[in-house]
Amino acid sequence: MKNQTKKFYDWVDSRVQLGDLVAFMSKKYVPVHSRSIWYYFGGVSLFFFIIQVVTGILLLFYYKGSSDLAYESIRFIMSKVQFGWLIRSMHSWSANLFILSVFIHMFSVYFEKSYRKPREMTWISGMFMFVLALAFGFSGYLLPWNELAYFATKVGTDIVGAVPVVGEPLKYFLRGGDDVTGATLSRFFGFHVALFPGIFTFLLMLHLLLVQRQGMSEPMHLKIIAKAEKKTMPFFPNFMLRDLLLWLIVLNVLAILAVFFPAELGLKADPLASAPAGIQPEWYFLFMFQTLKFLPAHVWFIEGEVLGILLFGLAGLLWLLVPVWDRKSSRGQQNRWINYIGIFSVLFIIILTIIGWVLK
Amino acid sequence: MKLIPGFKLIISVLTLILVQYSYASEDQCFNCHRDLEDNPSKLFVEDVHYKVGLSCSSCHGGNSNSDDMELAMNKSAGFIGVPSLNKISEACSKCHSDAVFMKKYNKNILTGQFEKLKTSVHGKLSVNGRGMMLQCTTCHNAHGIKKVTDSRSPVYPTNVPATCNKCHGDASFMQSYNPSLSVDQLTKYRTSVHGILNAKGNTKTAECASCHGSHDIFSAKDVRSKVYKLNIPNTCSQCHSNKDYMKDFPIPTDQFEKYQKSVHGVAVFEKQDLSAPVCNDCHGNHAATPPGIESISKVCGSCHALNAELFSASPHKKAFDEKKYPECETCHGNHEILIAKDKLIGVEEGAICLKCHAEDKNQKGYRVAKIMRSQIDSLMSLDIVAKNLIFQAEQKGMDVEEIKFKLREIHQARLETRTIVHSFNEAKFKEVTDKGFKASEMAITEAKASIDEFYFRRYGLVVALALITFLIVIIFLYIRKIEKTKSV
Repeated sequence: MKNQTKKFYDWVDSRVQLGDLVAFMSKKYVPVHSRSIWYYFGGVSLFFFIIQVVTGILLLFYYKGSSDLAYESIRFIMSKVQFGWLIRSMHSWSANLFILSVFIHMFSVYFEKSYRKPREMTWISGMFMFVLALAFGFSGYLLPWNELAYFATKVGTDIVGAVPVVGEPLKYFLRGGDDVTGATLSRFFGFHVALFPGIFTFLLMLHLLLVQRQGMSEPMHLKIIAKAEKKTMPFFPNFMLRDLLLWLIVLNVLAILAVFFPAELGLKADPLASAPAGIQPEWYFLFMFQTLKFLPAHVWFIEGEVLGILLFGLAGLLWLLVPVWDRKSSRGQQNRWINYIGIFSVLFIIILTIIGWVLK
Repeated sequence: MKLIPGFKLIISVLTLILVQYSYASEDQCFNCHRDLEDNPSKLFVEDVHYKVGLSCSSCHGGNSNSDDMELAMNKSAGFIGVPSLNKISEACSKCHSDAVFMKKYNKNILTGQFEKLKTSVHGKLSVNGRGMMLQCTTCHNAHGIKKVTDSRSPVYPTNVPATCNKCHGDASFMQSYNPSLSVDQLTKYRTSVHGILNAKGNTKTAECASCHGSHDIFSAKDVRSKVYKLNIPNTCSQCHSNKDYMKDFPIPTDQFEKYQKSVHGVAVFEKQDLSAPVCNDCHGNHAATPPGIESISKVCGSCHALNAELFSASPHKKAFDEKKYPECETCHGNHEILIAKDKLIGVEEGAICLKCHAEDKNQKGYRVAKIMRSQIDSLMSLDIVAKNLIFQAEQKGMDVEEIKFKLREIHQARLETRTIVHSFNEAKFKEVTDKGFKASEMAITEAKASIDEFYFRRYGLVVALALITFLIVIIFLYIRKIEKTKSV
């Protein structure tokens, strides 16, 4: 058996020079320290993305992206297709866990200031992927064409419409008309399965290439330790095996969630029906949604909702450009303000999400 | 002093003439018009207003004390001449809306007639666009107005149908206001029990105003109308449930009480169901007559068409006709028609079939009734079993929407049995129950499969978790091994 494997390896190696790649990976070391745990969330996010791609393709075999057939096709997948219920539940749960994992990964990178020079491009590509992950969630939520999805999309696109200047045309573009209709479903389907995956794959390749090229970022306090005293582990196979171990644990959790709490379908969307009580977006938009609800109708001369959207837009822009304005960290100096802003952001998101959930 | 009887009479007559003359002598308008011998003054002598001492000027204005025409009919004296359009009703309402004034003549008299008229269907704008469709004088006349209790009054109960018919029987006139309204109400009414009695001079029997109201008449489509569909049972019961009022008529007075409890009454009173029948749907409205034995199935069949058709083709039709049994009523009753439950059929206690069929009498019917009941019971049991299994599957989080369609089929079959039973044909009945049995069998099978699928998922998860966990352990041990080797 060993011989056969060796033979196969040699066969491939003689053609694509696998040895170079193995040599590169075995020479690549990952720092080992008390905060090494956070390195794994990038890998976990990648794992969830892979699951999304695989389950998404399987769903695509049966899903029909039209307002007349979408709901029925999902019902068909769940009740008639062999293991269709499992695939859909995994897709739904994995989407949520993917975003949770991306949130953790982003905040761990932020708090470790790993975005500092020379990893600015890694941070920015990651941030774009984060925004795309949210867009994946928003577009995918409508695809079952059920009552909750329909009205949540209506509310969501209404919020987009409140953005000054570009809001209305953008809303019209997203909806494919004045209202959420079959045209909205068709374009959301297109975004979800073609446009977003294409862009995301490109960004992901870039992101992984940069990570491989630059290696894992060390925490700032390790700078002062001599190179010989620093603990490391080989990327291959040690770190990769640990990654795989965690992926399998995550797969177990995902399977339990998918079986015990299968994704619901609810009622089919009826554009003529009145909106059910307690319409809310997905949990990862809840903190923004709740903040907009808390804002008064008018603040000075500006509408509360518009002000909220502008503030979130500004905060997002500052967050994206943190490697640019946080010069201190790039110089290797401590910047406590970064920690304060990060803690405030985490608390703000958690508290507002909980409030939004409780006030449902 | 003792007067002889003849002298007494002469004194009385002279006094009466004197009193009459003294009244008339004060009303110079009347004096002149009487001398002219015009129609109004001739009629006015018999007018209720004349008799209580009101003068022409009460309605027409002017100075009735002056015998100078110029002065008496001067505008400065408030003379309005012949009032037209709404001025007519306004002139009447000057007194008839004044409760204090009217009490002087009759302490029980009502005073809201004009207000009611204005809001009624007759108070709407006439086609001339200048006044109400109808004025007080349209029904009560102008100069010869009599009390309602006076048989000469156009609004005396026996005269009301003809009075209303003046307009409502005039097709060209009604065309201007409501082209879809029929104009044969009086003709129909005269064929009804009410109309026949009314024509014979019975003042207690219902005429137009009894059901439609007098001053406050609304369109039958108006929820305020006494003849609005949901108000009809109460309107009819005003008389038909009043034992004292109905004592002259040899009919029961419990129809309303029974109707309220009936399936139709519940639909009307509790569900406000406009499609449910009220009194006039079975008895007719203007031609109200209890349906005869022969026509009951036709009346019920106007809504329950399929049941009536099946019954007419059934062996029961001939038997009922021979025995002169009222068709639908024999089994279902009349005013107190209860929901047709399954227990009505069969040979057990409470079953109607037992009225005519017994083990030793009319045996075939007894056997068929027994079989039908047993099939209905089986279908009901299977329906319950299917519902329970589907409920269990749903509780386990399984998608049972499609299986629920089968439940509808079972329900449909059960409903159909209640119709097809009117054929009293075992083979036809079995066709329907078989559909239900097939649907319930499929529902039960699919529900059980759904429950099995639930357990399969659980066991499958355990197997998958075990495999993945095994891999985790292997990888964990391998990592430990390679890291141990390195540290060594």
